[in-house]
Amino acid sequence: MNKPEPTNSDTLLNTSSAPHIPARISVQKVMLWVCLTLIPATLAHLYYFGIGIIWQLLLSVSSAYLFEWWCLNWRKQPIKPYIRDLSALVTAWLFALCIAPIAPWYISIVGMFFAVVVAKHLFGGLGHNIFNPAMVGFCVILVAFPQPLSLWLPPEGLSSISSSLQQLNWLEVTEWIFTGVISEQIDAVTAATPLSAIQTGLQQGYSLSEVTSKAIFGDFGGLGWEWIANWIFLGGLVLLYKRIITWHIPAAVLMTTIAFSTPFYLFNADVFMSPQQHVFSGGIMLAAFFIATDPTSGCSSFQGKLIFGAGVAVLTVLIRNFGAFPDGVAFAILLMNMSAPLIDRMTIPQPYGKKRQQP
Amino acid sequence: MSRNTFTTDGFGTNTQHLSHFQGGLVLRHHKKMSCEPSLHHAGIPEVLIVAIRNNRGHVSSPVVKVGEKVLKGQLMASPKHPFGTAVHAPTSGKIKAITDLHTAKPEAVIQTCITIQTDGKDQWIEQPKNTEKPQTPEQIILKVKAAGITGMGGAGFPTHIKYELKSALTEPTLIINGAECEPYISCDERLMADQPNEIILGTMWLLKAAMSKTAIIAIEDNIGGVKKKLDAEIKQLNLLEKGIHISVVKVPTIYPTGGEKQLIKVLTGLEIPSGQSPLSLGLIMQNVATAKAVYDAIELQKPLLERVVTVTGDVVGEPRNYMALIGTPFNYLLSLAKCDFAAVDKLIIGGPMMGYAMPHDYIGIEKTTNCLLALPAESTKPEIESMPCIRCGDCVKVCPQELLPQQLLWYINGNDHTNDLEKSRDHHVFDCIECGACSWVCPSHINLVDFYRFAKSELTYLDHKKAKAQLAQQRHEDRENRLESIKLERQAKRRSKTSKLTNKKTAKSEISAVLARIKQQENNKKT
Repeated sequence: MNKPEPTNSDTLLNTSSAPHIPARISVQKVMLWVCLTLIPATLAHLYYFGIGIIWQLLLSVSSAYLFEWWCLNWRKQPIKPYIRDLSALVTAWLFALCIAPIAPWYISIVGMFFAVVVAKHLFGGLGHNIFNPAMVGFCVILVAFPQPLSLWLPPEGLSSISSSLQQLNWLEVTEWIFTGVISEQIDAVTAATPLSAIQTGLQQGYSLSEVTSKAIFGDFGGLGWEWIANWIFLGGLVLLYKRIITWHIPAAVLMTTIAFSTPFYLFNADVFMSPQQHVFSGGIMLAAFFIATDPTSGCSSFQGKLIFGAGVAVLTVLIRNFGAFPDGVAFAILLMNMSAPLIDRMTIPQPYGKKRQQP
Repeated sequence: MSRNTFTTDGFGTNTQHLSHFQGGLVLRHHKKMSCEPSLHHAGIPEVLIVAIRNNRGHVSSPVVKVGEKVLKGQLMASPKHPFGTAVHAPTSGKIKAITDLHTAKPEAVIQTCITIQTDGKDQWIEQPKNTEKPQTPEQIILKVKAAGITGMGGAGFPTHIKYELKSALTEPTLIINGAECEPYISCDERLMADQPNEIILGTMWLLKAAMSKTAIIAIEDNIGGVKKKLDAEIKQLNLLEKGIHISVVKVPTIYPTGGEKQLIKVLTGLEIPSGQSPLSLGLIMQNVATAKAVYDAIELQKPLLERVVTVTGDVVGEPRNYMALIGTPFNYLLSLAKCDFAAVDKLIIGGPMMGYAMPHDYIGIEKTTNCLLALPAESTKPEIESMPCIRCGDCVKVCPQELLPQQLLWYINGNDHTNDLEKSRDHHVFDCIECGACSWVCPSHINLVDFYRFAKSELTYLDHKKAKAQLAQQRHEDRENRLESIKLERQAKRRSKTSKLTNKKTAKSEISAVLARIKQQENNKKT
């Protein structure tokens, strides 16, 4: 029974280090959950703004994966695990949700080039990017192609546009995206985003209440936009429940947006937007739950995350209220990405046993 | 809760006020299968392999020779260092060899082991007639030391040291750790259920050694039956009337609640200051099995010769707890428990979170070996190529020491070796308890703890090198100074001489003295 030598002495056992039991989680699953929670908002987008989002998704996802594959080959990295991690899918999806649904085809391709090739792979690939790739792509086209990006379709349910024009044929939208030929209908129906409507309105000397009494505004923010924001909020709650993100960044972004925009609004309600308009229009909700929570380009400690989120909100409100661009979320995110290492260095938490003088 | 509440009132009144540590994991227990069957004696294997180096790295020198006959309980190796432990023969037999073999320690490190060919008679060495029980704390500590008792929970700290070090403290609180937070292990639970009396009596001896009256036995809240048994035993012994407070406290089952630092935080709300021992808070922590070993040593005059070992795992046919002699080879215990050897992928000493995988099964159990875990390839962590860290922060959420594991990885993995490693020190890498929670949750499958172990050993080495270099530099400077001072001394001498010669008053007498000396020498030569 007790042999004086090891059983199976010819083969040594596996001696890899602890922990020895698997937890069955992976980068792929994390990314998959992010995508799943984006579905409700995407469907709302589809409902309010039509077929465009589907084309933008297809274009950005396919070009993102093309660039990803090309970069992995070029950097001599293993293809399979990195294609399967779904990180490019998340980048492409977030980007598609940011741009105008009827943006021409090259927008997605240029955006994804800067997102995947420049922001991600030139910085060292997955986990090494300093900036959020989707936001880099978005900012580049925001600066390079401001005109096509400002062309949005009027949201579903907008009464001021006659019913014959309200629903664009999906074929016409497709034709516009891929050829850039403006048919008369398209020209007639395109509308500004609520935030750019506010900005141009204010520049033309209208007061804020006059601008927001226009039909494209809903109860809190832009018509349709506020519902997309609601669905993003719901998706964000799922991410919180699944513990993929922590409460720190969303809470910091939303609370600071409200807290920081209120004094401006109270000071002059004719010029500055109300806190609920800030929260429910533009990209602040998406940023709070899906973009600022990008762990790679954000802060690591809980305290750092609070500072990071608050910084995003402050910068966004400042750019919206005083800047040249209607929305400032993307710039705010990039600026805070830059400060993240510094914040991290300043907020190293004190571990167990080092916190305070023991009693 | 302030510290006074439990040193004065005892814990009987306020057991509900538990604190909690940050992070941690809720894991599947896998304990039932090994805990339910009754405790069996493993019997005497043909060969025992007894390591003579304890977990603190202190070797005891063998006092027996190859070929010599030994009796059960006979001293085989005595400690040289105060932190060393005595090693006794677990049964009677002949010393077969004293060689270097794999041991049941981290990385199965190869160390000197005494191999005993057992004779099956289990013949005891003659017991001393004097069975008087020790009276003073010093006598108890000596007895514990002579019995070769080390902590049986895993770290293997020699028990007597804790009481020798506490001398400055008055009335420390004793914490008996029965919280086995790792999955699969059930040896302490089995021991508490079967021998509550021995554990309580052993605890009382430890209290006497610590000159204290308060002890807490901490168990996990998923083993309620054990609490009843211990409580009944405490009641029966009428401890309260004797002024001794021993209370049984249930703590939440969150990994790693059985860790020394975490358990103290849960029980007292206090944190052990970084780099210090529980003594700094007036606490002494001891495993339940250690309390039982103390009982054996003092009441039964038995040195530490055997311990309860959980033999379990998904390829073990009859998982069970065994009372096994120290040195029993793994394969003996595994075949008792009907292990399917061919299906074993990993053979782990300890639990699945912090245990060490052994290269083969011909290794003897040690005083710290609480569990033998045999897992097939299906239940072990697959060897996946790890992905880059995406800084998701899951590790931060689970770290019970409140560190930033992803930042540590970043700095340890950095290209600039020494510079970045120092940054990992700034991020408190030395406060890592290596519980493995971060590695377990990592979606990129990075074995984070390996990096921290590397950083700790590398930094320790660099510190050592730096200290050595500093010492060498110091020596060099001292030497330079010495040479300089000698030179100065010589110069001063020469100067005084030359000044004597140049001075007209003294020159004459100097010259005549020299001439006289030369004359003397010449005279000496002639004669």
